[in-house]
Amino acid sequence: MISITLMKQTVKANISLALIITAIQALCLVLIASTGQPVKITGQIFYSLLPGMLTSIYIIITGNKLLAAQVDKGSMAYILSTPVKRSKVALTQAVFFIGSLFIMNLITAAALIIPTFILNGSVSPSEWVDIIKFSFGLFLLALAYSGICFLASSIFNLSKNAIAVGGGLVGAFLLLSIMSMFGENFHFVKNFTITTLYNVNTIASGSSDYIWQFAVLAGIGLITYFSGIKIFSKRDLPL
Amino acid sequence: MNEIIRISNLTKDYGEGRGIFDINLTVNKGEVFGLVGINGSGKTTLIRHLMGFLKPQKGYTSIMDKDSWRYASELKKHVGYIPGEIAFPEVKRGIDFFKLQAEYLGIRDFSRANELIQRFNLDADAKLKRMSKGMKQKSAIVNAFMANSDIILLDEGSTGLDPLMQSELTNLVKEEKQKGKTIFMSSHIFNELESSCDRVAFLKNGRIIDIVDMNTIRGNESVKEIKIEFIGESDFSNFLSRPFNIIREQTEFNQATILIPDKDINELFNVLQNMNVRFITQKPRTLEAYFKDKYNDAEAV
Repeated sequence: MISITLMKQTVKANISLALIITAIQALCLVLIASTGQPVKITGQIFYSLLPGMLTSIYIIITGNKLLAAQVDKGSMAYILSTPVKRSKVALTQAVFFIGSLFIMNLITAAALIIPTFILNGSVSPSEWVDIIKFSFGLFLLALAYSGICFLASSIFNLSKNAIAVGGGLVGAFLLLSIMSMFGENFHFVKNFTITTLYNVNTIASGSSDYIWQFAVLAGIGLITYFSGIKIFSKRDLPL
Repeated sequence: MNEIIRISNLTKDYGEGRGIFDINLTVNKGEVFGLVGINGSGKTTLIRHLMGFLKPQKGYTSIMDKDSWRYASELKKHVGYIPGEIAFPEVKRGIDFFKLQAEYLGIRDFSRANELIQRFNLDADAKLKRMSKGMKQKSAIVNAFMANSDIILLDEGSTGLDPLMQSELTNLVKEEKQKGKTIFMSSHIFNELESSCDRVAFLKNGRIIDIVDMNTIRGNESVKEIKIEFIGESDFSNFLSRPFNIIREQTEFNQATILIPDKDINELFNVLQNMNVRFITQKPRTLEAYFKDKYNDAEAV
């Protein structure tokens, strides 16, 4: 289904940024967690903004590199001059993107679990649930963001356009969500950004609203990835 | 006929007169086919269609009777390619690039690649980013030929090569032809096409204005084009009155250009014997001259 050769190549080309971002995230989380607050509070502090920003940097840069940059540069010609189908190329890149984000969030979650375990000697079942909801939710937000960047990367021949549209959208969503925090007057802008669908306060409050919000994020991710693969397989490539 | 590449009514209109329009041609197995034209005439667009990178607006292209858009990936088992722009994947050294491509292609035997690396005097351990234009081009050549594909598509394959390496590429193309490979190459270097191609298509503004059989151009040499400059005007006008096929007169220099079959050459010497000649020179009939004529003819229409 995927090309192992391409997967190896893609991992090599993108792993360093993923590692750096993950390390920063994990380090921040360890620092916050080691102050000894309850998991719920630590999660609310950490997951409310920081990883969204950091992960977005990874998503915008990597999203472009996976397809558009290689078409722009022309190096995609070498992959496609071998008997590898375009759909396979796009699928491989998508699997890498999603997989890398999943692992990044897994490691970040571990950075919350391990200090908690060391400080308290155990992680209670309710703490497990919170941690899973926080990090899986962040993964779904990243899935939606990355889907948007992946779609842009599959549509455009030029890196600058892919980044302007994909990165522009993700950046705008983030900015709007930050704006909405500045008092009542700006509160309404939260309705214009998908970032709102990952709401740490809703998750921590124990309400079940997060379920449909997660579902929407997952839906955005699936649709954008699926169309990205479809479009890349069918369009003209100037190689 | 062993037709292996077919381009039928192929049109891709990019607007403002750019693109390719209603291209028809076929290439036979074992043939070396050249594509010549100025920048922007549509050579690359044509080759990209054969590679299945571009979808035709009208018409189709096929390789081995298979549509090159639909069966793009399958056909790559039989096709080697040098892209017009050289940009390598993110790997370190030349050899890493070849290994990567070999893995995609499922090649285990590196003897052919090594042979090509030696032949083109390529330092495969050099870092790709530090390579000169010529070195990069050589790497692209090794990559295109190392799989021993039946069909090779070269988009300006000799760009950036020094003259020595250019002729090495020409030799390689000839050898591949001997092995029964089919080669489809675009170029603006006439010399390169002249010495290796069986047929050459002239592309202008996205249309084929002529397809020539190189044998007819080479065969044309039994009629030669000769230019003579006389010292005095009297000899010049005397010469003009003789029954030669004069194709050009440059009165200000006392120069006359004639077309003369080899069998009449002695008659020319008989006439010139009693005249004061400054110089006499033969203009070789080349693909370039042929192309210029055709190009200007097409311009005049």
